[in-house]
Amino acid sequence: MHSRTGAVAKLLIVDLFGSVAWFPVWWYTKGLERVFVWVRRSLQYRAASYAFRIWIKNMLVPMYGQYDWTGRLVSVFMRIIVLIGRSVAFVAEALVYGIGIIAWIAAPIIFALLAAWNITSGAFLRNV
Amino acid sequence: MSELARPVAIVCAQCGADPRLTASCKACGGAGIGVASPDGFLVWSDPVDDFTIALRAIKKNATVIFHLAIMIGLGVAVAAILWSLTRLDDVSVIREASFWVSGRWDVSLAWFAAFLGCFLIFRLSEYSSDVRSIPGWAMTEAQLEAHDAAAPTRADHRFEIAPHFSEEARDTVERAYGIAHDLKRTEVRPDMLFAAALTGPSGGLFMARLGLSFDLVKRPLATLMISDASAGNPPIAFSKETKRSLALAYAEARTARRKHVSPIELFLQSFKDSPKLQTLLDRLGFPAEHVMKVAEWVRLQEQLREDYLRFVELAALKPKSVMNRAMTAQQTPLLDRFSEDLTIAARNGYLQPLIGREREMEELLRAIESGNRSVALVGESGTGKGAMIEELARRMVEEDVPPELFDRRLVSVNVAQVVSAGESGLAAERLITMLREVGMSGNVILAVHGIESLVGGGSGPMDLAEAFASELDRGYFIAIATTTPAAWTQYIERRSLGTKLVKVNVTPLEAEDTLRVLMAKSGSIEYVNKVFLSYGALEKATTLAMRYLRDVAPPENALDVVREAAVLARKARGERTFVTAEDVAKVVHDKTNIPVESVTGGETEKLLDMENRLHGRVIGQDEAVTAVSQAFRRARADLREGKRPIANFLFLGPTGVGKTELAKALAAEYFGDENRMIRLDMSEYQDATSIHRMIGQAGDQRGGLLTEAVRHAPFSIVLLDEVEKAHPDILNLFLQVMDDGRLTDGVGRTVDFTNAVVIMTSNAGTSFIQAEVTNGTPLDVIRTALLERELKGIFRPEFLNRFDGTIVFRPLTMDDMTQIAHLQIHAVGARLEAKGFMFHAEDEAVEALAKDGYDPMFGARPLRRLIQERVDNALADVLLRHQAERGDTIVLKADMTVEIRKADAV
Repeated sequence: MHSRTGAVAKLLIVDLFGSVAWFPVWWYTKGLERVFVWVRRSLQYRAASYAFRIWIKNMLVPMYGQYDWTGRLVSVFMRIIVLIGRSVAFVAEALVYGIGIIAWIAAPIIFALLAAWNITSGAFLRNV
Repeated sequence: MSELARPVAIVCAQCGADPRLTASCKACGGAGIGVASPDGFLVWSDPVDDFTIALRAIKKNATVIFHLAIMIGLGVAVAAILWSLTRLDDVSVIREASFWVSGRWDVSLAWFAAFLGCFLIFRLSEYSSDVRSIPGWAMTEAQLEAHDAAAPTRADHRFEIAPHFSEEARDTVERAYGIAHDLKRTEVRPDMLFAAALTGPSGGLFMARLGLSFDLVKRPLATLMISDASAGNPPIAFSKETKRSLALAYAEARTARRKHVSPIELFLQSFKDSPKLQTLLDRLGFPAEHVMKVAEWVRLQEQLREDYLRFVELAALKPKSVMNRAMTAQQTPLLDRFSEDLTIAARNGYLQPLIGREREMEELLRAIESGNRSVALVGESGTGKGAMIEELARRMVEEDVPPELFDRRLVSVNVAQVVSAGESGLAAERLITMLREVGMSGNVILAVHGIESLVGGGSGPMDLAEAFASELDRGYFIAIATTTPAAWTQYIERRSLGTKLVKVNVTPLEAEDTLRVLMAKSGSIEYVNKVFLSYGALEKATTLAMRYLRDVAPPENALDVVREAAVLARKARGERTFVTAEDVAKVVHDKTNIPVESVTGGETEKLLDMENRLHGRVIGQDEAVTAVSQAFRRARADLREGKRPIANFLFLGPTGVGKTELAKALAAEYFGDENRMIRLDMSEYQDATSIHRMIGQAGDQRGGLLTEAVRHAPFSIVLLDEVEKAHPDILNLFLQVMDDGRLTDGVGRTVDFTNAVVIMTSNAGTSFIQAEVTNGTPLDVIRTALLERELKGIFRPEFLNRFDGTIVFRPLTMDDMTQIAHLQIHAVGARLEAKGFMFHAEDEAVEALAKDGYDPMFGARPLRRLIQERVDNALADVLLRHQAERGDTIVLKADMTVEIRKADAV
């Protein structure tokens, strides 16, 4: 019975506090992978909603059924403008995600370092 | 690969999966038995005992407490920081970087809290649940194929399945252990797993759907579990069969592309793996097939929920307006006025997915893909042509369609409005303008329900159908039309429109698929009516609708019945009640007046007493009455052969002896109304051309007299009088009816006779019968002689052979006549009573009538005439002269005079 109680205690300690050791490893492996997957899916969804492929395929097809030559000209011009606009928006979004990934990578280190810095240089330690 | 895909259980050679030896077996590491699968060799070696169960519970609680503690800590820290910041003399200092490295306690706490936040994110993503998803769940089809192709590399790898069990499934396994523990058994067997799944949260709904109450199954299940396993004290181990069930449950969940193994897979697998359990439930009235179907139902609903979520995500990409994503479309003002945009309706979640009909959908898409060809879906009303078009709209929303339909919208044109709105002469012009809009816009696929309405519309030399066909021929748009087979044959097939459309036949669904449709639609019916549907109700609705409700094709007829039964159940028993098979039977009974409810106690007596009841109308003819009564008992107990009419009888005998009367009495007794009889006088069908009158002819939509009548009232008596007078070709038709229970009419529709009783009467051989009866020859001998000799020249042997019974009606005796006279006088009395008079006939009067009306040649017919002449005429005089008042008794005296006895004064 004693060994079982011990096993419970051990498991709890490993499970609850062992996770403290597992945390940094997880953050930069599995966690980071999850962030990447999420970012990739979000960008794919955004690309689908911006319909890049459809717009490129229809580059020379006039918009709003305007088949006269002015219509065609305006259409091609408009399509280029819209594609550029959407690409800019897409890149901007991708940049935001990129910053997010960098933040993910940097956050625990920076938080831990700053916390340690403040605690060690802080009043309560200096007063000790 | 295919070898691996098939689940094959392999037992450890060392321990033989003996529960006692497995735990310490080094060869299999405690697994004992495993199943080959593309994910590896599936094993369950996770120990389950009191200790691990307790440990799991403690771990679960400890995790929750730990996470709560972190969250509270974070909350307190944030509150403290905010409190501290509000006490700053100058809050603007927080904008300076130096503040955040100033070493203040609140700043230190803020950074620490942020770090703790990261830790919490990690804990919540990694430790909230230790359930792992099944590999392949999140993969696309292609990824999964690649994964499966690499299966041989994993063939030797053990794959521990326990982590892929959902919390509920894990609870179920532990409950099964608990049951073994409580029953003091040493092995956990599949029936215990089944019992555990049954007592879980989803088990309740499962049992309710099945119509099984736990009280009913509790005792026999407990007996089974006790008898199955050896008694003893712990340790309790999983039996070989249970471990196999667990592994197969995983394989099943994987095949169904579930995220985890859930209790429903355990339930199903343990049930499949225990023949004793199957026998037990079968004896309780729940065949294995029903149990499997209910499981399929539960899973189908879960599947639909998952599909819905996927659909919502994809639908967000589809445009909300008439403009396509490439922005090449144009406004279509006229089209918009006369149509509904189905893709927008689908996008907004108004259209439901299609169940089944994969073949037809494939044909439809193939036709379009093979070169922009338009399609006509041809099927009876209710087969789901509309549902197919709605499914197409849904697929167009998901963009899961051939390139021809990509980035387009499906628009349903309201033909009736186009034809009827405004001036009729403008209809063709309006239609063509609309089609031009479709062409100019370029992103519209037209759906035209009931395209036959275009035929004959408009004015001038060209009707709308022609106009539509000629525009279609120019190939600038694709249309998907629907129509019925009859309309297709009559209006479209031979016209230019018919040649422009690819015909896709939409046949009525079979019972199996109809049931699946009901299962899929059950959710919305339950939601609207706030009731629950049982499997019995769905099954009954399918069977009864397919058998008795022929005006609309399945699945629509069955759906209508279920919807009405849901309303009926709610009104009768309130909300949150279960709709049972009886509710469904009642709805069908109310609609058709056919006794379809299960044979109840009262009805059993009625059926067993059928001879006496029939004798209430038919005097004598014991043999005939017994033969037909037996046929009906067989039919009502559902013991008859499925592919033939309920019964085929040939009634032989002189005129006026009760042949037709017996048929009427049957219709009244069994079908509830003596008019539920399709009666044809075969003397009207003496030449070969009259066959068209009976079964119709090509091009004539009215159909035949017989085929149309049976199509509309399949559950009735088909009475063919004087059959010997019919042309031999017509009799040949009935060979098929009597053998296969069906007949193809002139238009090509198959008419079902399996719910009809075919009775043919004939006077052939009458003089022989009369002579032999007078000689005292037994009826059996007379019948044999008739079949072997007398009827040979009249009917062909194969025709006579097909009857279930050839019944000889003997000529009436004087005794019979007296009884018939009593019956008929009684009927006169009933008519008078309806008018408010009492009627009494002296016995001598009735006997005199019987005697005077007796004519061995014509049976009881002269008696009816005699009663008309002597009794009815006298009564008419009395009534017209107002000699009797309401309440008076009219007495028929022996000398056929009428006496009025005044009623007592009030």
